[in-house]
Amino acid sequence: MGVESSSAWLALKQHCQQGAGEVHLKTLFDQKNRAEVFSVELDDLFLDYSKNRVTEETLKLLIDLAEQQALPSWIQRLLDGEQVNDTEERPAMHAALRAGGQGVKGEALSVQKDIELEFEKMAGMVSKIRAGQWRGFSGKPITDVVNIGVGGSDLGPLMMTHALQNIKSPIDLHFISSIDGTQTSNLLKKLNQETTLFVLASKSFTTIDTLSNAETAKDWLEEKIEDPQTLLSQHFVGVSTKPEMMTQWGIPHDNQLVFWDWVGGRYSLWSTIGLPIALKVGMDGFREMLQGANIMDSHFGHAPLDQNIPVLMGLIDVWNINFLDIQAKAILPYDARLKYLPSYFEQLVMESNGKSVNREGEAVTYKTCPILWGEVGPNAQHAFYQLLHQGTQAVMCDFIAPVERDDFDRSRTFGTDESLHYQHELAMANCFAQSRVLMLGDAAIPESIKQQFDSPFKHYPGNQPSNTILLKTISPKTLGMLVALYEHKTFVESVIWEINPFDQWGVELGKLIAKETHAAIKDESRADAFDSSTQNLIKRIVK
Amino acid sequence: MKVSVYGCELSGLVTAGALAQTGNEIVALPIGIAKVEDLRQGILPRNEPGLEALVTLQMQEGRLHFEDDWKAGVAHGEVLILSMPSWRLERAEEIIKVIGECAKGDVLVVNQSSFPIGTADRFEAQLKLAFAERGLVANVSVVAMPEFISEGSAINDFVKPDRIVLGSHDLKAIKLVKDLMRPYNRVTDQVKVMSTRAAEYTKYAVNALLATRISLVNELANNAEHFDIDMEEVRQGLGSDHRIGFNYLYPGCGFGGPSFAADVKNLVGTLQSKGYDADLLKAVLSNNESQKEVLFRKAWRFFNTDLKNKTIAVWGLSFKPNTSTVENAPSINTIRAFVEQGAEVRAYDPQAMNDFSEHWTNPHSINMVGDMYEALEGADALVILTEWKAFWNPDFKRMKKQMDNLVIFDGRNIYDPDVVMEQGFRYFGVGRGEVI
Repeated sequence: MGVESSSAWLALKQHCQQGAGEVHLKTLFDQKNRAEVFSVELDDLFLDYSKNRVTEETLKLLIDLAEQQALPSWIQRLLDGEQVNDTEERPAMHAALRAGGQGVKGEALSVQKDIELEFEKMAGMVSKIRAGQWRGFSGKPITDVVNIGVGGSDLGPLMMTHALQNIKSPIDLHFISSIDGTQTSNLLKKLNQETTLFVLASKSFTTIDTLSNAETAKDWLEEKIEDPQTLLSQHFVGVSTKPEMMTQWGIPHDNQLVFWDWVGGRYSLWSTIGLPIALKVGMDGFREMLQGANIMDSHFGHAPLDQNIPVLMGLIDVWNINFLDIQAKAILPYDARLKYLPSYFEQLVMESNGKSVNREGEAVTYKTCPILWGEVGPNAQHAFYQLLHQGTQAVMCDFIAPVERDDFDRSRTFGTDESLHYQHELAMANCFAQSRVLMLGDAAIPESIKQQFDSPFKHYPGNQPSNTILLKTISPKTLGMLVALYEHKTFVESVIWEINPFDQWGVELGKLIAKETHAAIKDESRADAFDSSTQNLIKRIVK
Repeated sequence: MKVSVYGCELSGLVTAGALAQTGNEIVALPIGIAKVEDLRQGILPRNEPGLEALVTLQMQEGRLHFEDDWKAGVAHGEVLILSMPSWRLERAEEIIKVIGECAKGDVLVVNQSSFPIGTADRFEAQLKLAFAERGLVANVSVVAMPEFISEGSAINDFVKPDRIVLGSHDLKAIKLVKDLMRPYNRVTDQVKVMSTRAAEYTKYAVNALLATRISLVNELANNAEHFDIDMEEVRQGLGSDHRIGFNYLYPGCGFGGPSFAADVKNLVGTLQSKGYDADLLKAVLSNNESQKEVLFRKAWRFFNTDLKNKTIAVWGLSFKPNTSTVENAPSINTIRAFVEQGAEVRAYDPQAMNDFSEHWTNPHSINMVGDMYEALEGADALVILTEWKAFWNPDFKRMKKQMDNLVIFDGRNIYDPDVVMEQGFRYFGVGRGEVI
């Protein structure tokens, strides 16, 4: 018997059927203090979840469900470093990475020393590179660092460094992930071998995408560097859980940073995989990011469920998905610096919860992870918002925006500063207007112009639920809080759905078959047993 | 003439001393770290050949007095000279304020300092406004007279100038300043009168042109190495072209100093902040920063990227000979690069060791030794950064005894490669010697 036939689930179902599922958001806002009741603030982060189709009763029933599913003890097990990833028989201790030795126990405590030692090694590298004292083969300082990694070894650092672009760095960072070589070939044309350092970031150090790009980088360096030892010692740094594999590839020990198999790839930006982030903002900035995440961890571990931000967000998603039957979620940041945040959350959420068997290996009979996508909000308004407003899909949205921007001077009321201030206000106006229209639909149309909207093509049904998250500003700290919030909310959902969010067996088979297919491209006779479509496609590229 | 000189750094002291020497009554007022009590005892903040003697003598003669009170300076001088480092602009603003508040009649200010273009005009306008507010009717003139003195030859540069640039629209003021400078303007008329802004810009333009020339020569020298060409031969060929001439044609390990490099930086900063083009000058500056590490790079390659526990002897820390100043000098960048790679550094300089210690903020310590040969003890290489005369003809036999490894990296090309190689040394100059 799964959660779907449990008493708390059935109570929610009943609650939904008895009207809660039908009530329109605009009606819910008859409650005058709704925004106040359905919002919560933690440090530099504010969550308004009032534009969800929930009442106080709904929340109470959702909390009952969380308690029935033993969420509090799961949270403790996660934070204490117990084995929550049962198919891979290991803990998921991303929170331990940002504890800074404080407030942890169990396995999460025992790894603190290893973590700190590795961060110290990373700090040494970071300060040497940022000070211009890491030298290329000719003796010139390294000015460009290229991160070669894919998935978690790419997206986290890429998303963070892009988000923190306003912070000046002495190092220019670049990212190569795609296996096809286009990024590598384009980038290398612009760089100089004398001043370029490559970071090979791969949890297993066997990822073909990364290693094939690394070989291309090595070939490029060999055009200028005769001594293979110098090439490796001055132009490659490795980050992996497998030091022996790094050594085998040729990365000298001093240039190796390790992390551990208990750090999931999509949770690895908090580990030494975050090296590019530290190169961008300095080790102090990197630690601020960890501290931000730690604020969320400790809130997640201690706050009562009905005040707990990740718990509330996770439970409301469960309500939307399993009871209101909403199977799509849009991530809509209203700041172009957060351009890669939707991609990052796509991996975090869908790789974690895109599963259809529970922890016992039995098929689940309810929906789990929705399809999640997103885009910088103001750009998306000119793209898929049409569907949000008038399509046939119900979609839940997360609006994310900074309260302040730190790239202009508020006290100056002229010139570029004034224009930028104006643009920020405009962006916020758009953010708040969109969530309001999604919620109210036609009811948002002012009385005076109602006439103009008297047409079936100008009908706005509204009732699309959304969260709005306001960050004080975009900084290492607030981004740390935000990402940790989504990690934990994803975990909350997995606990309700009784699935393991920390494995990703779904991505394994494709990798394996790719090897077989590659062999068939090299030797066409190996394709004989393939289906006719694949055979045909292979024929078209084998010349 | 009664003259007050604000600023007792190199330029101010040279101006005060030289003007006192020609019979003027001078009051000099320190605006920075120099203390009146020290100055009165002849203790100067700058080590400059002949300066102490000049200042002491003029004090004894009674024509040079040091004062603290800025107002006393205003009361004393028919001419008020601002002579301070470029980064003291705020102090100059304060002085202008004091003049505006307490001057009793006509005011003639001469600015020698390298402040941003337009500063003289602005000061003049500020003084006029201050007088108008006080209801004082008097003539106000701020003349730009940029200094072109170099450390090590500052007194000579002042008393035998190539030219005296005077920027002003005020004929009466020009006449007065010309008269003050008459003793230094005898053989032919060296005074170039122009607008105040043109005078200010001339100073920057001179340094920009010289910096560009040095950086270009350095780039040519670095590349000559790739073709196995001795840059010294090329230098002869270049300098003999009368359109080019021999000055500022020596390749080396980069220029530095408190005013030269700073002026170019300031000019680039001003141009950039206004959104104007400074591409060439930016390239000059970045080329020079890189050139400061040219010897480190040679050593890095020579030792095959492994400098750990190597002992590097350094001769010369000051940015040029005959000065104790290390500001912006290649020594700081070079030594930092070596110690960051784990090398031990033994350094010697005839004058600049104290100043170096003050500028050295790196946590790694280096050995300062009191003798050039002592620096060579156990050395794996000698690095020469300043062409002090004492380094030109050393006792090679003694050097060979001291050093573990006979390698010289010469950032000023002071040796003949054939000679030192005959002595058994490996020799790497800038655009000369072995190629690495």
